[in-house]
This record gives sequence, C-alpha cells and structure tokens, in this order.
Amino acid sequence: MRFGRTSKAIGVAAVAALALSACATSGGGNSPEGTGESTAAAAGGSISVAETNAFSSFNSDSATGNVDINGKIAYMTHGGFYYVDNQLKVVRNEEFGTYEKVSDDPLVVKYTVNEGAKWSDGNAVDAGDLLLNWLVESGYANDAKTDEEGNVTSGTNYFDFAGDTSGLGLTEIPEVSDDGRSITLTYSKPFADWEIAFGGLNDGGIGLPAHVLAEKAGLADEQALVDIIQGLKRGNPDEPAKENKDLKAVADFWNTGFDTKSLPTDESLYLSSGPFVVDSITPDQSITLVRNESYTFGPKPAVDEVTIRFIGAAPDQVSALKNGEVDIIAPQPSADTVELLQGIEGVTVDVEDQLAYDHIDLNYKGVFKEANVREAFMKAIPRQAIVDRIVKPLKADAAPLDSQFFVPAQDAYEASAASNGSGDYKEADIEGAKELLAGATPEVRIMYNKDNPNRADAYALIQESAEKAGFKIVDGGLGASDWGAALGNGTYDATIFGWTSPGVGVSGVPQIFKTDAGSNFNGFSEPAADKLMDELIVTTDSVEQDKLVTQIDKHVWDSFYGLPLFQSVGLDAYNSDRIEGVKYQPNQTGVFWNFWEWKVK
Amino acid sequence: MVTYIVRRLFTAVLILLGASFLVYQLTALSGDPLHDLRESNSPNKEQLIQQRIALLDLGTPAPIRYFGWLAGAAKCVVPFVGQCDLGYALNGQPVTEALGRAMGMTILLVTASAVLAIVIGVSLGIVTALRQYSGLDYGVTFMAFLFFSLPVFWVAVLLKEFGAIGFNNFLRDPHIPVSSILIIGVVSAAVWFVCAKGSYLRKLGSAGIGFLLAAAVMWGLSVTQWFKTPGLGLVVIVICGVAIAFGITLLAAGLKNRRALYAALITVGIGTVIYFPIQELLAQATGLMIFLLALATVLVGLAVGWLMGGYDRRQNMNAAAMTAFLVGGLILLDRYMQAWPAYFNNGRINGRPIATIGSETPNLQGDFWVHGLDTFTHLLLPTVALLLISLASYSRYARSSMLEIMNMDYIRTARAKGLNERTVVMRHAFRNALIPIATIVAFDIGALIGGAVITEQVFAFAGMGQLFVQALDRTDPNPVMGVFLITGVLALAFNLVADLVYSALDPRVRVKA
Amino acid sequence: MSTTSTKPVAATDENKEGLSQGQIVRRRFLGNTAAVISLVVFALILLIAYSSSGMFGLPGWWKYTHNGVNDLVNGGRPTLQLFPLSLGEHPFGQDRLGRDTFAQTMRGVQISVAVMFLIGLVGGTIGVVVGALSGYFRGWIEAVLMRLTDVVIVIPLIIIAAVMGQVAGRAVGADVQPYFLGLFVGAVVWTGLARLVRAEFLSLREREFVDAARIAGASSARIIFKHILPNAVGVIIVSVTLSMSAAILLETSLSYIGMGVKAPDVSLGLLISQNQEAFQTRPWLFWWPGMFIVAICLCINFIGDGLRDAFDPRQKKFNAKRAKAAAVSAHSETGTTSTTGV
Repeated sequence: MRFGRTSKAIGVAAVAALALSACATSGGGNSPEGTGESTAAAAGGSISVAETNAFSSFNSDSATGNVDINGKIAYMTHGGFYYVDNQLKVVRNEEFGTYEKVSDDPLVVKYTVNEGAKWSDGNAVDAGDLLLNWLVESGYANDAKTDEEGNVTSGTNYFDFAGDTSGLGLTEIPEVSDDGRSITLTYSKPFADWEIAFGGLNDGGIGLPAHVLAEKAGLADEQALVDIIQGLKRGNPDEPAKENKDLKAVADFWNTGFDTKSLPTDESLYLSSGPFVVDSITPDQSITLVRNESYTFGPKPAVDEVTIRFIGAAPDQVSALKNGEVDIIAPQPSADTVELLQGIEGVTVDVEDQLAYDHIDLNYKGVFKEANVREAFMKAIPRQAIVDRIVKPLKADAAPLDSQFFVPAQDAYEASAASNGSGDYKEADIEGAKELLAGATPEVRIMYNKDNPNRADAYALIQESAEKAGFKIVDGGLGASDWGAALGNGTYDATIFGWTSPGVGVSGVPQIFKTDAGSNFNGFSEPAADKLMDELIVTTDSVEQDKLVTQIDKHVWDSFYGLPLFQSVGLDAYNSDRIEGVKYQPNQTGVFWNFWEWKVK
Repeated sequence: MVTYIVRRLFTAVLILLGASFLVYQLTALSGDPLHDLRESNSPNKEQLIQQRIALLDLGTPAPIRYFGWLAGAAKCVVPFVGQCDLGYALNGQPVTEALGRAMGMTILLVTASAVLAIVIGVSLGIVTALRQYSGLDYGVTFMAFLFFSLPVFWVAVLLKEFGAIGFNNFLRDPHIPVSSILIIGVVSAAVWFVCAKGSYLRKLGSAGIGFLLAAAVMWGLSVTQWFKTPGLGLVVIVICGVAIAFGITLLAAGLKNRRALYAALITVGIGTVIYFPIQELLAQATGLMIFLLALATVLVGLAVGWLMGGYDRRQNMNAAAMTAFLVGGLILLDRYMQAWPAYFNNGRINGRPIATIGSETPNLQGDFWVHGLDTFTHLLLPTVALLLISLASYSRYARSSMLEIMNMDYIRTARAKGLNERTVVMRHAFRNALIPIATIVAFDIGALIGGAVITEQVFAFAGMGQLFVQALDRTDPNPVMGVFLITGVLALAFNLVADLVYSALDPRVRVKA
Repeated sequence: MSTTSTKPVAATDENKEGLSQGQIVRRRFLGNTAAVISLVVFALILLIAYSSSGMFGLPGWWKYTHNGVNDLVNGGRPTLQLFPLSLGEHPFGQDRLGRDTFAQTMRGVQISVAVMFLIGLVGGTIGVVVGALSGYFRGWIEAVLMRLTDVVIVIPLIIIAAVMGQVAGRAVGADVQPYFLGLFVGAVVWTGLARLVRAEFLSLREREFVDAARIAGASSARIIFKHILPNAVGVIIVSVTLSMSAAILLETSLSYIGMGVKAPDVSLGLLISQNQEAFQTRPWLFWWPGMFIVAICLCINFIGDGLRDAFDPRQKKFNAKRAKAAAVSAHSETGTTSTTGV
C-alpha cells in the first residue's frame, strides 16, 4: 500500500518536473544576457540625466505637448537650422541646412535643407517638412472666432500650436524650390526677430515629418499634403471659409496623435532627424535615447546613449546624483541644495544667472495713481537687502537687477542701467519715502505667489521696510494655481512676480509695455514709449534694437513703473568624476544645449 | 449567503455612486483647471483655453458634468459595450491609460510592505501582549509609536542617506571596522537582554550570547567579503533548515510530537538532496516556474507529513509544509545571492546597487534573477519606510486583541485543565486573537494605499499617489476621480471580504441572508 | 518593575473601596508612568508655546514674532547653549530672512495643536452624534446614517483631506485658513468613531438599566445622555485621543504635498516641509519643528494608550503564572470563581 503511494508520488513528481521545464526561459541558463554585460558598455558609454517633469508627447509644439521635457527630447531628436548657445548667440548648423536673407524690403528669407539630411526611416528631410512646419507656426489657415468663454463660434482652428504665430503670421504661402529642398518666406512688413522665427532647435527644430502626417491623415502621399498647403487661402475670422477636411485630418493627428507616455509600436511616430532616436520609455520613470545611425548632418554626440529619469523634488535629485543613479541634475536652486551639492565629492556645481527675473510692478490705478506715491513706494523697497537675503546665499556676487529689459549678460545692460536712473533705488530710502508721502499712510495690497519661497520672502522684506516708511501693507498673496489668474484683474496695488525671456529677440517688449497690450497688467501707457516700440518691432538690426530698448527702459523707469528685483539663478550639477563637457545654459533648453559634447571619461 | 452578497454588492454600488459624486464636486470646487493658461502670456491663449474647455467639458456645470463622467465610467463594468472611459487628463492623456500603469506600481509597492507589516506587526503585538509591562513591551511600544510619529519623508531622507548612499559606499570596500562590529554587538546584546525572560543573571547571560553571536557573524561577513559575493551555500541552508524544522514544530505541534518533528526534518533532507539538481532548472527560471515550484514544495511537505501518519496527521502536515516552504525560500534566496555579482557589476549599476528612486533601472539587461534583484534594490527603501509607519497600528491592535483573549474565561479553563502554555497560546488564544485583526487588515487596505501617497512622492515612484497629488495640484479633475475610483472599489471590496471572513472565522457571527 | 507589583493591589482596592468610575479611571491612569510623563511633557509644550508668543491678543514673553525679519546673528545658527545654559539671541536659530526659529516653532505648535484639537472636536462631535443616533434609534435613521458613513469611509482619508485642504485654502483668508482646515478635515474623519459609538450603543441599549429607565418614563434624550453616553465615554475618549495624534500627522502630510496650512502662517508640518532641503545643511530649521511634532505625537499616543488601559478593565495586567495559579485555585475551590471577569 505504502509502496504504491510512493510510486504514485514519484510519478507526480516526474510530471511536475516536465511541466516546470516547459515554463522555463527559452534561452539557455548561461546565455550572454544572463552575465550582466550590457550594451551600454560600448565605446561612447551612457549618461543619465534627471529631469523634473515626465515625458508626455513627441510633439512638443502642440498645446498638450508643450512641456519642457518634451522640448528637450525634440531638441535631441530633431534637425534644425540653428541653436542658441550658452552665450545666447544664434549658432547655425550649416551641415543640416542654410538660411539667408534674400532682401530687406520686403523681407524675404530662404531656407534650404542640405542633401543627405534624412529622417531615421530613410525619407529625406525636404521642403514638404518645412512647409508643414511653416503652416503650423504661422497659423495661416486658422479662421476661428471665439466667444468670451473660449468656445468657437465660427470658423476652424487647425493646428493647436503652443507658440507665438505673430512672426510667421506676417508671411504669405512660401515658394517651394524646384529641387524640393528649400522654401522662401516673404514677410508683409519687416520683422525684427526674423532670424529666430523658423526652424530653430530650441523650438523643436523641423518638428514632425510631413510624409508621416500625410499617411496618418489618409492622404495619398507627402506631395498631396504639399498641394493642399499651397492651395490654401489666408484664414479670415470675419469670413470663415468652409472647413478643409483633409487639412483638418492632418491637424487633428498633429494635435494629439503624437501624445504618448510609452513607446509606440509604430516607429513612424517617433522618427528622428537629429543625433539621437528614442529607444525605450518607462512611463513616468525614464526615457532612453540611443544614437541615430543615419544622422551625419550636424554635431556628432560623443556618448552612445542618454537616459533621462524623471525625479520631481530637488532633494531627491541630489540624493540620486550622490548615489550615482544619475550623472547630471538641474534642480530648482536653493541655498541648501547648492550647499548640499558642493559637499559631494566629485560633483561640479554650476550656479549661474537665468534668463528670468523677479520684479515688483505697481498698478497705475488705485492708490498708485499718483506718481509721487509710486516713487515713495519704490524708494521704500530694500532691493539690496532682498538680494542679500535671497540670492546671495546661492550666488555670492549677486546684485540687484538694474534694467527692465536687459540682463547683465547682454552687452547693452551696462549702458541702459547707467542711464535709466536705477541708481536711486539700490537701497531702501525710508527717509526719502517719508518725505514724499508727507504724512500720508496709503494702503497697499501686494499680490504674489505664496507657494514660491523667493516671492514670499521678498514680500516679507518689502512689507517690513515699507511699513517703516508709513505704508500700510495688506497681504494679498495667493496660492500657486491662483495668482496667475489674478494678474491684471485690478484687485491689488502691487504685484511681485517673474518674467522669463528666451534671451534673443525683442517681440516680448511691446507685449508687456505697450498700451493695452496682452501682458500689460498694470495699465502702463506712455505715448513716447509706444512710438519707440512700434519702431522696434520693425527694426531688424540688432544694434539699433538695443538703442531703442535702452530708450524705452528709461521711459519705464521715469514713470515709476516698479522695480526689477533680481535675476533668477539657475543650477546644474554633474558627476565630474565620470563625465565632462556639461555646460550651463541660462534659457529653457538648460544643460541639454550642448548634449553632443557630453563625454564619459 | 448569496442574497447577502448580492445585497451587499448593491449597497456598495450605491455607496460608490454617492462617494464619487461627492469627490467629483469637491474636486471641481478645489480650483480652476484653466489657471495655468490664464496666467500664460502666449498669443493664442484663448485658443488653448477653448481647447481645454472642450477636452474637459468645462462649459457644463459640475453636478451635471458628473453624469457625463459616470456614463464613461459605467462602460468599465458593462462588458462588450465599449472601452472604459474615465476622461482625459489636462495633458490630453486618457486617464485609464495613466491609471492602469500607476495602479500596478502602487500594488507592487503596497503588497510587500503590507504583508511584512502584518506579519511583523502581529507577531510583535502577540509577543508584547504575552509579556505585558515588561521591558520588551515598553521598548516595542515606544519604538512603534516613535516610527508612527515620524513624518514619512523624514524617514525617507534618513533611509536614502544611510540605507542607500552609505551602504553603497560601504560596498566599495565591504570591510567592517572593529568599532562597528563592537557597536553592532552591543546593540544585539541590548536586544537580547530585553527579550530574555527570567532573572537578571539570566538576562545578562543572554546579552553576552547576543553580543558574541552578532560580533562573530559580522566578523565573518567582513573577512569573507560576503557583501560582495553573498551566498548561503548548502551548509548554511542545512543548519538554518534544521533550526526552522525545530522552530516550526515547536510552534505548530510541540517538540513532543516526534512524528511532526521527523516530518519537518525529512523535508529539510529533501531540500538538501534536491539543492544541486535544482540549480540547473533555476538557471532558466520564470515567474510562473517559481510559483509552481513553491506550490510543489508545499505539496511535498504535505505529502511527507501525511505519510508520517500518527494520530494527528494535520499537525505533521502543517509542520512539514511550513518547513518545506521556508527551506524552499532559503534555496531561492541562495540563488538570488548567486546572481548578485552579475547584478552588482552590471554596467548600469556600477557597484551601487541600492537605489533611491524609481522602481527599476532603465534598460537593465539580465535574466530573471538579475531583474528580481533590481526590483528588490528599488523596492527596499520605500517598503521599509511604509513598513515602519504601518507597523505601529498592527502591533497595537494585535496586542490589545491578544490581551483581551488572554483574560477570557475559556483560556482560564484551558489552563485549568492542565494544557501547556504553548497549546494555550497557539491553539486557543492566538487563533481567536486573529479574528478581529483580520477584519482590521481588510479595513486598512484603503488607508495603506493612501499612506503610500507621500512615500511614492519621495521615492519618485510613479504610482497612484503621485498621479493623485500631481493632478490635485494642477486641479486636474479626471485623474483624481480615477484614483478615487480604484481606492474606493478596493476599500468596498475588502470591507465585504472582511465581513465574510469574520463570519467564517467566528461561528457566533452569522450573516443574515 | 514597580508597576508590576502595585498593579494587582490597586485592582483589589478598587473593588473594595467602591470608588466611582471616574476615580478608578483617574487612579489607573495616574499609575501609568508613561502616560503621566507624556501628559506633563505635553502640558509643558503647550505652556511654553502659548505663553512665549502670546495668545488671544495678549503679548508673550518672547521678544520676536514668527514673521518679524531680524538681522542674522551667528549666520542664523542656533545660539542655545547647554553648558553654561544660555538662550542667546536666537536659541533655535534663524532662517535666511532672519526670522526667529523659536518664535516660528512656537507659533507652529500653536497652530498645529489648534488644528489637531479642532479635528478632534469636530470629528468627535459628529462621530458621537451619528453613532449615538443610529445606534439608539436603529431603523431608517441607522440605515441612512450608516450608509452616509460608508460613503465617507470609502474615500481614503488623505484624498478627501487633501481636497478639503485645497478647498479651505481657497475659500477663506490667510489668517483663519488653518482653523478652516481643521473644521473641514474634522468633518471627514469621524467615520471610525461613529462606527465604534454605534456598536457601543447597540449593545448598551439592550441592557437592563436602559430598559429600567425607559419603563420609568425617561425620554430618549435623557436615556442617551444620562444613561448610555456615560457608559460609552471611555471608548469615545480613547478613540478621539488617538485620532488627534493621527490628525497632527495628517496635517504634516497635507502641508508636505502643499495642501495644508499655507504661508505666511506657519504650522509644524509646513515648517518641516518648507525646510526639508535644509535637512542636512541647516538642520536646526528642520529638526526643531520635527522634534516638536514627534514629541507631541508621542505624548498623545502614550496618553491615549494610558486612557485605554485605564478605561478598559479587560486590558489590565495579565500574568501567565498568576493567571494559571488563580485558575487552578479557582478550580479547586468551586464557588469563588471569577470576580475579575468584568
């Protein structure tokens, strides 16, 4: 009996063993992949970078895909006519293509892609791609009207482009050359920023391949798309045209078809015309790029692979760097983060200025209607103390920013700062402010972002000082998601916030300072300044531009507009024991600007 | 029974409807999803706002919009009608997609810490209850409360600094200095002192043993560079196996039950014999295979126990099966340790195995074991952080439940009829003390997922907590609702399970049909 | 060791002297060293916190305010010295603006404790009312209230609290925001207590003394407040105490994810989340408020534990040997069995 059971048990065991070997891995136990060797050990090596936001789209130009990380991926995987270096100079990539100004009046610019530039599927980068890009960035065909709620009441919006269409919007449908590799843009009036209007890597380069979009939208081929574009008429919201079905299909795919958090199985959705191509994505965790084998038209990267890992908080980025999980980080700067990083052996820390600055603006309505109240308030603002307490711990040579338009890195800064009268507001002048107020105690409500420690601290210092001068300060601070909506709604008398600028171009000036302009939140209006700005926007010579801006700067200061407080500070740090070639860059491309120079030691 | 379950399910659906309506309105109240666009100064701001209004249907008032959301969510439960539709996030991504991924991550994180917290917490609770008001009781209570009181991100920073960065630095040259050996020895001595029972002298004696044992083990690990090339080897497995066999038998059947002891020892023997042959199979392991092997191990244990016979076969089978399972676990552990050098020297690990962020090393190439180790090194710190904070409640629940039981009349009766302490505690008290704990565990699942919110944030773990916090921060209603839906359904399901388990465990409670 | 020997003596005393329940509870509680120490420490913390920075408009004895900007002394490092003991200008140090960390921490304690008590009070009141009504009246009242409880209970606490915190942060001005946070969060944390109280009421309402009161013509309100509630007070107090320690941690967590108390006001949770980057570089900014959180939380937990032991006679000292001895002797002298099985 017992023997029978045993033999049964053995039988069961034998069957089980067979079953187990059936579900083993197909490869042998000692296959090469089991030894822990990795492809990363190849010649160039691999570098890992920490980023705050998670990747969400291969189309960084669309409204939904317009997140900094998507732009950085586009920067590495797209070809473009130029990039902006860390001196904020435009550097052309003539190996990819060229552009030249054909005439000044009318302004005509010709863009040509070199032969040999191609997408990673072998298709050439050609005029069709340029044309599609132009259509997107010019908003040429859009003719929608919207009501106050933002609902479309008539017409059609095609591409949900996240950028500014005012520059290319001045151009007519480009001419395509016979060889199909160049387009020519003709502006209806001179445009100051023509050089950075089209095809820059910082704006995603030559964005998405026209042949893929044509195919996805159900068109016959790329030529069909080119024909549609060339047959378009400029959209007029007052006389909306009938919706162009084919173009709408292309636009719809462009708007959302490239949004994905994981790697699509369809390779055409992430074609590369740049040095790298996306290899794998772990959603919300990391994205890995490998060398694009067909890329020969531009700077050649030294590393074979770049992995970007998404880590939100600064302290977590620091510990990941310290633990060797990432090689480069660029977290939100704070004195503690900097000190922590400087304490890590073998890590190089760059603390530099950023192309953004915090400022306090006075609302020309209400209590600040009178110029002398504005002047008194400006006198009471302790700019030096703010810099000492907030920026100095990070960057020892920080000083108050003395221009509303230039940053010290720009050539025109010195001259503008010397002439605009900013010297009077370095330190708080409580006595001077008291004199101007002559015993009055105006109540000032200051609005700022409570969740930004720099702004909250600047508020605390201003409040302390202004109350000494006789102002009554009311805390109008709002949460991170509310303060922006309150800008310009007139519920405050002064506001502390920041502006970011791309560092090149002057189109931003009238946006903020022209009478009734979109971002003129404070009711600043100076006819002389308006005139200068009209002139500025059609001036294409950069020296002339600087001269005009310097004059505008003076006007702004003279009218007691408010005060720039300090230039924001940026931070990057990298494991210099392991890698080299990382350089600080003050604009939104950040350390990625020269990724091809990164090298594993 | 069936009517009961159906009725419960029906109320559950109603409750879920009410709760989701509430959360939907609250989320809508919590802020303006357009705020980031309103503050932008892009020229096509109006267009972007209008796109988002269309995407999120913001034109409709929230109470009515809820029903639109509900209609989409309802598709998840009705089969063959259509795809699940939980709306879109602000960035245009469907919530179902984001949620599916995040859920997997959170479950991965929560499961390990939940199981560990329950096992460790309940055992600590039982032990402290049996030794109420002793040094051990006070020590454990204090530690539990202390861990409970520590903000989790504080724990996380410490863990990262010492558990990951410090330990990785140590691994570069895994040599333990004498001073550290002494300190570890003293700590171990203190633990032994507190745990030991009896006279002062006896406590001191066990403290001495504790000191020597810990110091010797540390010295051994240091000299053999064990941390670089860890492993158990057959000898250690056999020694541990025998110890396990005795321990399990002691708890499950009592050492007097020789048949149980022999059954357990035989399974250890089988494990020893099979150790070398099994290595060939393990080299080609997959998850399914490990699961089947675990199943087979338990079956072998049961079979051995049954074959031993005797008047109480169940005791033999229990002892043998548990021993078999644990010895199997040892062999598995040993195999993982064999893979350690391959993992350690992998180009992407670079000799710094313990991770501070994420759930995996991107693009890691390797076999089953290397990936297993990778998951282990990434889950280690967040699991410990979660474990520490949830330990307190389980140990307190278990302690008070056990105390209550130990004062019951039937325990007195059991003692009075001359049963030994092991039988009284293991057979009469322990099992009954588990009943209320089982229900509390089920209740706590929702809280545990909630507790993971911050842990995920600190360890850059892309789970539901992170999804939730980010969405709420952007006042992005649909992902918030998605996370709520999952946690709500889980909480309700576990509540139902709790009630059913309760009635199964406690014959006094019968569900009314 | 001392507690081990005095405990059983106390137990027999209680039975002999015929003390009231309140006296018994007080005596048992005072016999619990850990709980008493915690109570003293907690009282001290409150005393220092409220007296130093003043309350109800009264000035405190500390010279700085939590939001006043001062010159940096000693680079912001703490000036507290133990040997010889001296506070110095800024005993707990200063932040980068020169705000006094001691004043901030004390203000943080005030706010956090206020939020904690509010959560306890609001949650406790709702919980008791809901639990009492549904447990006493049963029927449709119970059905409605308990389903309502279920609705709230399925929403994980941190989720609903975060949404509530966000709503509170937008709804009202900065100066009262922390209190609204307390009210709002309190309005969602009562579910556990409601279930407990209901269970207690369910069993108490079937007891003889309730029947007696009912036959004597007592009104429902009188039965609830005079007869049942006093018997359930132990459960309520213990549960509320423990929920308050959870509340202070909840406030910390909410502040950490930016949905709790908002600047410019401070709470302990906000202070440590604001200063978590300073954890290693300027530890005083993080450790002082952190230590107060841990201290308060530990104190409340031990107080709660002490109260539980004091209220619940079943939890009293149990000793395996003595229990066995007692059981054996009880077995031999039939008739004198269990006097302790309350």
